[in-house]
Amino acid sequence: MNIPEDFKTRLKIAKSKIKRPPINEEGKRGSFMGNAFKLGTELVAAVAVGTIIGFILDSWFGTKPWFIIIFFFLGAAAGMLNVIRVANKMQKEDKG
Amino acid sequence: MQQFTVYKIGPEIKIVGVDLSFTNASLFMVISALVIILFLFFGSKEKKIVPDKIQLVAELFYTFVAKMISDTAGSKAKPYFPFIFSLFMFVLFCNMVGMLPYSFTVTSHIIVTLIMALFIFVAVTIIGFIKHGFKYLSIFVPSGVPVVLLPLITVIEIISYLSRPVSLSVRLFANMMAGHTMLKVFGGFVVSLGVLGGWLPLSFSVALTGLEILVAFLQAYVFAILTCIYLNDALNLHH
Repeated sequence: MNIPEDFKTRLKIAKSKIKRPPINEEGKRGSFMGNAFKLGTELVAAVAVGTIIGFILDSWFGTKPWFIIIFFFLGAAAGMLNVIRVANKMQKEDKG
Repeated sequence: MQQFTVYKIGPEIKIVGVDLSFTNASLFMVISALVIILFLFFGSKEKKIVPDKIQLVAELFYTFVAKMISDTAGSKAKPYFPFIFSLFMFVLFCNMVGMLPYSFTVTSHIIVTLIMALFIFVAVTIIGFIKHGFKYLSIFVPSGVPVVLLPLITVIEIISYLSRPVSLSVRLFANMMAGHTMLKVFGGFVVSLGVLGGWLPLSFSVALTGLEILVAFLQAYVFAILTCIYLNDALNLHH
């Protein structure tokens, strides 16, 4: 007759353990490295895309080199924005 | 370099002027896909309560991807699990098959990664428009920006959005190609330094191989998790 009681408490303990899963150190470190790899290309890609858009607009309107210059800087700004966003997300994950 | 050259296997196939010949790149894609299918088939054949090794690994992959999706994109992204899982497995196995000697690394070619990234980009954009209609365009207009700055910010946001497929594809391609090139360079040092001096680059080579396997896994993970993040942006507007 004791066994069901015992089983209930054991189930309760097991369930309470499920609610707070242990933090997987390995997995966390992996995602940190993933984030680190992410940041570098994020900055470069936006600059490249901005410059390409500028180049295309220039060849459309024949206004070389004005659009390239403008969109290079806009691309650089977009790259900064990307990096700031990723960094914010990383910080939020770190706290939560 | 010889390990990156693409050559035709078998007859040349041309359909409406487009070269569709079977190359070594296609061969290794097929090999990776077959390895995944076989692995998952044997991993899920006997559904034991106490799993054996291969079932354990297969279940590990499943829970890993499922957890990744629910962590980054929430419960709304559950229907997209098959897509992200196949993407993750394909990139991972292409990278890993590329680590074998004499094999070809499919993901070290930008055209392959770019096509995958563009597919994701277009798919995510279409999903966003289906779920939210023209309200989806509001991701380009962040809230709380002065009216004077709005045109500038919108252009920057659009560039930032368009840079997604580029950064996604270039990251995977650059990491894989740089790693393999580095291995090749150190391998070349071993040969040119001979028996006396070759031990140092050889030990570097061994260490780099370990690093490359880590990078192969990490890049597949990053590729999949970024897809989840983009999907999250499309599914949950303004969060």
